[in-house]
Amino acid sequence: MIDPKRTGLVLALVVVWAATRALAQSCAMCGSSFGVDDPVQRAFSWSILFLMAAPYTLFGAVAGWLFYVHRRAGRRASVVELAWRRARVPAAEPGGQPT
Amino acid sequence: MRRRVVPPPPAEAPPVSNTRLAMIVLITGESMLFAGLIGMYLVFRLSARAWPPADLPRLPLGLTTLNTVVLLASAVPVGRALGAIRRGESGSVARQVELTAVLGAVFLAVQGAEWTRLVRHGLTLGSGTYGASFYVLIGCHALHVLAAVTWLSIVALLARRGVFTRARHAALEMCAIYWYFVCGLWAVLFPLVYLY
Repeated sequence: MIDPKRTGLVLALVVVWAATRALAQSCAMCGSSFGVDDPVQRAFSWSILFLMAAPYTLFGAVAGWLFYVHRRAGRRASVVELAWRRARVPAAEPGGQPT
Repeated sequence: MRRRVVPPPPAEAPPVSNTRLAMIVLITGESMLFAGLIGMYLVFRLSARAWPPADLPRLPLGLTTLNTVVLLASAVPVGRALGAIRRGESGSVARQVELTAVLGAVFLAVQGAEWTRLVRHGLTLGSGTYGASFYVLIGCHALHVLAAVTWLSIVALLARRGVFTRARHAALEMCAIYWYFVCGLWAVLFPLVYLY
């Protein structure tokens, strides 16, 4: 019996594997202008990688920090709120049973 | 049964103030500017057969290393000033900020002298990709240091007048954050341009 999910996964893998070479060539200009292991091509590759990583790293770090600060503030606010609620509870009568 | 009247907890200030948020936006933008410049430098540096080119002078490593120590050390007094104002001790703030500004000015002066020597030895903005990328990248950072030193001087003046208190010192805090950014940026640029 053919498992459709498994078949689909295998087909997807085959398509991706077959397309790998074509995808790795990037644009026609880079593919045809430089030879194998050309320093200019390598320089552009590193520069592109760096410039691609920079915004993700920066915005990720800022977003992570903002998330952390807001979460910490929320936790602190909930502690203050809890303390306030406890303070509002009437004082226990002497000798009485806590409820 | 007697009920205690407890006032509700006071409304808290937002976790990140507007000034700090504005500073983050500014620094993120500046970082992207420098990321572009570093990308440019990487293209020239990695594609060059010889770096620096044989007919151009090498960068002065010893002097710049000392200058780097001066710049990184300047982050200490501004941090102390910030700590002091947060504790409510405003007495030493102006002196610490002034010390930071002086160290920043020393960094700029040494860099200016270094550039003059390099120009005399033939390394100019027109000396191919080597000269152009060096002066644009390091010059852009020097402009930022100049702006930060000016800002520090204004903050020091305000601190002398006793403007900052424990509750109100946003200008000092933003200036300190910007100075940390400038120092941190140099910690990236120095190894990239002078050591690599």
